Amino acid sequence: MKARRLFIGALGVMALASVTIFGATSSAHVAKVAAAKCSTSISVEAPYATGPATQQGLEQLHFAQYAVAADNKAFGIHVSLGKNDTGLNPALATTVTNSVVASGAVAAVGPAGSQEVEAIGPIYAKAGMAFISGSATNSALTTSGANPTFFRVVAPDAVQGPQDANYIIKKLKPKAVLIIDDEEAYSTGLVSVMQPILANAGITVNHQSYNGTDTGATLQSDMSSLVSSQLNPSETVVILPWQSAPNANLFATTMAAAGKTATIFGTDGTDSPGQFVASGAYVSNFGPDISTSKSKLDKAIVKGVAKFGPYGSFGLPTYAATDVLMRAIASVCKAGKKPSRSNVLAAVKKTKIPAGQTPLGLNIAFKSDGDLKNGVFYLFHINAKGTYVPVPTKA
Amino acid sequence: MAPIGVDEWVARSGERREQMSGPRRLLEMAGERVSWWQRLAMLAIAGFVFGQLGFNLNIDTVAFNSVLYAILALGLNIVVGWAGLLDLGYIAFFGFGSYGYALLSSHAFGSLVNFSGGVHLPIIAIIPIVLVAAGLVGVLIGLVALRLHGDYLAIVTLFVGQAFVEVVNNIDPTLFGGNNGLFGLDPWHGFGGSIGSVHGYYYAALVMLIILMAGLHLLDGSRTGRAWRALRDDPLAAEAMTVPVNLLKVMAFSFGAIVAALAGVVFAAQQGSVFPTNFQSSVLILIYACLVLGGVGGIAGAVLGGITVTVVEAMLRSPTDSSYLFYGLILLAILVRVRPWQRMVAMLVAIAAFGLVMRAIVGAISHAAISGPHGSIGWIGTVMRHWVIVPTGSITFGNILYAVLICALILIVRLHGIWRFVLIVPTVYAAACCWESRLIVDTGITAQIVLGAILVVMMAARPSGLLGTRRVEVL
Amino acid sequence: MQIFIQTIVTGLVTGCLYALIALGYSMVYGVLKLLNFAHGDLYMVGAFIGYYIIQWFGGSSALIIPVWLVIIVMLLVSAVAVGGLGVAIERFAYRPLRDAPRIAPLITALGISFILEDSVLLLFGGYVRSYNTPSFIPYSASFHISGVNISSMQVLIVALSVAMMAGLFVLVNRTLFGKSMRAVASDREAAEMLGINVNRTIAMTFFVGSAMAGVAGVMSGLANEPISNIIGFLAGLKAFTAAVVGGIGSIPGAMVGGLVIGFCEAFSASYISSQYSDLIVFGILIATMLIRPQGIFGTPPLQKV
Repeated sequence: MKARRLFIGALGVMALASVTIFGATSSAHVAKVAAAKCSTSISVEAPYATGPATQQGLEQLHFAQYAVAADNKAFGIHVSLGKNDTGLNPALATTVTNSVVASGAVAAVGPAGSQEVEAIGPIYAKAGMAFISGSATNSALTTSGANPTFFRVVAPDAVQGPQDANYIIKKLKPKAVLIIDDEEAYSTGLVSVMQPILANAGITVNHQSYNGTDTGATLQSDMSSLVSSQLNPSETVVILPWQSAPNANLFATTMAAAGKTATIFGTDGTDSPGQFVASGAYVSNFGPDISTSKSKLDKAIVKGVAKFGPYGSFGLPTYAATDVLMRAIASVCKAGKKPSRSNVLAAVKKTKIPAGQTPLGLNIAFKSDGDLKNGVFYLFHINAKGTYVPVPTKA
Repeated sequence: MAPIGVDEWVARSGERREQMSGPRRLLEMAGERVSWWQRLAMLAIAGFVFGQLGFNLNIDTVAFNSVLYAILALGLNIVVGWAGLLDLGYIAFFGFGSYGYALLSSHAFGSLVNFSGGVHLPIIAIIPIVLVAAGLVGVLIGLVALRLHGDYLAIVTLFVGQAFVEVVNNIDPTLFGGNNGLFGLDPWHGFGGSIGSVHGYYYAALVMLIILMAGLHLLDGSRTGRAWRALRDDPLAAEAMTVPVNLLKVMAFSFGAIVAALAGVVFAAQQGSVFPTNFQSSVLILIYACLVLGGVGGIAGAVLGGITVTVVEAMLRSPTDSSYLFYGLILLAILVRVRPWQRMVAMLVAIAAFGLVMRAIVGAISHAAISGPHGSIGWIGTVMRHWVIVPTGSITFGNILYAVLICALILIVRLHGIWRFVLIVPTVYAAACCWESRLIVDTGITAQIVLGAILVVMMAARPSGLLGTRRVEVL
Repeated sequence: MQIFIQTIVTGLVTGCLYALIALGYSMVYGVLKLLNFAHGDLYMVGAFIGYYIIQWFGGSSALIIPVWLVIIVMLLVSAVAVGGLGVAIERFAYRPLRDAPRIAPLITALGISFILEDSVLLLFGGYVRSYNTPSFIPYSASFHISGVNISSMQVLIVALSVAMMAGLFVLVNRTLFGKSMRAVASDREAAEMLGINVNRTIAMTFFVGSAMAGVAGVMSGLANEPISNIIGFLAGLKAFTAAVVGGIGSIPGAMVGGLVIGFCEAFSASYISSQYSDLIVFGILIATMLIRPQGIFGTPPLQKV
């Protein structure tokens, strides 16, 4: 059957050709996009599809998408946004970062987790690409010197830790606290900052750990054991610096079922109004809640992001991070140059956005190590209906 | 008439060997004319030339990964294919090699020994240390394995693999990096130079692969290789024939561990970091997929499987190429399985016509139903754009279509004859619509689904893999 | 003392859940000698089905029919649906491989596991859900006995598990189906020659095993555990350990093994640390394999030359 043989042969040739086109088209496509006026691409890395923090990852993704759409219109530029799921997993983050670097993007937004930044910082540094995170708060990321092109629009744990610890000491006044970490860098980093402050104020600190990646009956067993065996009656505050809001909620319900009444204090990783709803708990976060704000910009943002997905205060700083990049690209184009990794990086370093033009409520400018100048943390209290009510942080 | 001294049955083994037909026969006949060493040399030259063609970072990474998985599949082949031991903890050796490299070329040891900077050895010193250590660990696991048979061995090794990840995750985060792993690893350095890019590591891995293939080929033909085959086919009979079964089992584990550790050393250096999540069971499944799809028991099969699975997975993750792969696979399935050729042409024409007609009808009813977001990129997207239905609510539409598609596929398997033909036409069209509207949006998830589907279909159609021969298991 | 009893309660509940999933593993291994790695994902599908039934009836804070009715519906629908799914998987993925080398069904099971996990991810997204049980079963509906807390959900889980295990015991030992199942497990070809419909027996075995996994999934959700597409992996692994420790292929073995693993986990988490409970369980498994490879109730495998 010669006709069939020819068919199969032609198919094999086509398959071979497509593999070779593989390389050619990936770079050709990007080249075509960049040829148009002030046309370039950036990429967002967020845990929106897999991993324990998809709700937060989706918030970040939607805010990034909205920021790109809004600023494209506002500045008259043409920036396209690639999206990559990292699953809060440093190994996966490394893989997607390599493909972001290979794709020709000039800068990146994200990732969400501090451990991911530790893993990919050197990769972006080698590529000379700026990347801005809206949620990686580990203090060492900017002080270690390993991530020279890393920026963040949120205050580090060195601000959150003491603020939370001092609030607990002054307002909640416990004699003893239980602090549980989930064996990840974010968690252990916060514990190492908060524990000495609490101990110095004369509070007995009971430090426990559990495996944050457990699920199902194993997780339930962990929570039950923590509540029944590790939570002493004198510990009136339980601090949960976790990255998984559903796990924190499970702890809260297990504790309530056991009849214990300690106050739970969660950090920014547990900020997720749909998933962590323990009445009476506190949640500290790096983003304010602008859903009730009257300012024109805030209302526009809340309305605009709703086209991509529901609003959430965890994702709000990612809007600011993307905004910084878009403004940097716009300024490069206005100076008549084509956006490249080096000039966008230089422009980001010189960012100055007044407080009125950003929803975060403060001026955005970066220190030389990439941290925000004068970052603050916000505090919420969860009421009986599960709503997050903002609370002043000054004791 | 058989020559004197040769059993009649043995003499006719050549006739009984599985006769392949069509293009494969041509390939087989060509293969028999070229010696094994010449084929190896051709592979080495092809690999080297491919590296010189100057592709971008993406292709370099895929090339490196294919060679890496080929090495891993080769190592697994020693344990599973040659010695017949079902080792589900193989990933632990890979991790051992990677972490070994990480500890010897980063600041990790600095916390333990009072070095401030840690240990930074050149690669020429690291490789022997890691390989010897891995060999010893392999011997240890082998000794444990001596007491277990078949499925129990599989179970214990599975948990050794899990335990490795747990240990490295929890024990001493200052030394092993805990959940966040170790990063900032030195690149391979020694003799004044160092490898700084994926491209360089590709060549290093290629050299390792060629040397390994040569070595394993010699091993396969040696007494040890024959003894392993005897062990695989029937351990008790082998033992009765004075084959040193225990020694061979331990050797198999040890050799497999050494190969895996070698792969680990080059992997850790290329990634520049090492995490516990690099050695999860999903990676083990991938290595098994490489080995099984290529054909358990043969060197060529393992290498081919490693390369194929990696390339397929990489193609599936990139939005442009996954479409090529998806439509290419469907087309291939129809071309190969539908006979005679008149029927195949009729089917293709029917599918095309069905699609155009459906689109016209739906488009006439409601314009919103066909103006959804763009699916595939490139020329294939432009073609599909005019053929498939993608409504504005594409995600929900795609989800429902996906569920319907699964049911349709199950039905197709149960039907025969003309009904099967009739059902395949709308099913293929539905698959294309589902692909354009839903599956192409999240290529990471789709890649996993397609990989799982390939595994299931491949095992049902050809359990011995692409290059394997059917073996009868004596139970 | 109070902690001790509370730990026993936790261990009992966890153990029952593991036992239910382990039973499915053991039954399937018994008839097919197949380690069905996709079994944990059936548990996950059961949990999702329960979640969507709650949503269908108005959501956890606004159920339109009484709670006990919702629970019964969830359990029945999940059992039947997941059982059916198990039968379908057996029919299309495992039946063609009855006589293939042992590694082929293993790879197929892994492929099915991929497909199940990622299809759920594709269709329902990665958002971690929970049944929000306190909304429809208030905390007041629990028992406090001298400082020890037992919620009504925990009582339900243990009671239901015990009932199902008893029912399974009767099914296997007193009915014709049970007899044919034991016959097929013992020697498939001989059973076929004796006129037993092997295909139907295997399909029924898969149905029962998968249904139990589905019910375990619903009960996990009722215990307010977070539900996502990856929960099947760890549950499957733990249940697998339980089946092996108890003796794979043996039904009382799976029950006892599940309880052993559940208690060990609870006690090591309470008295040592939650960090190491996983490692301790693995250690128990390896120790069992080395000392008594066939498990507590298993029979040593025969080796034929």
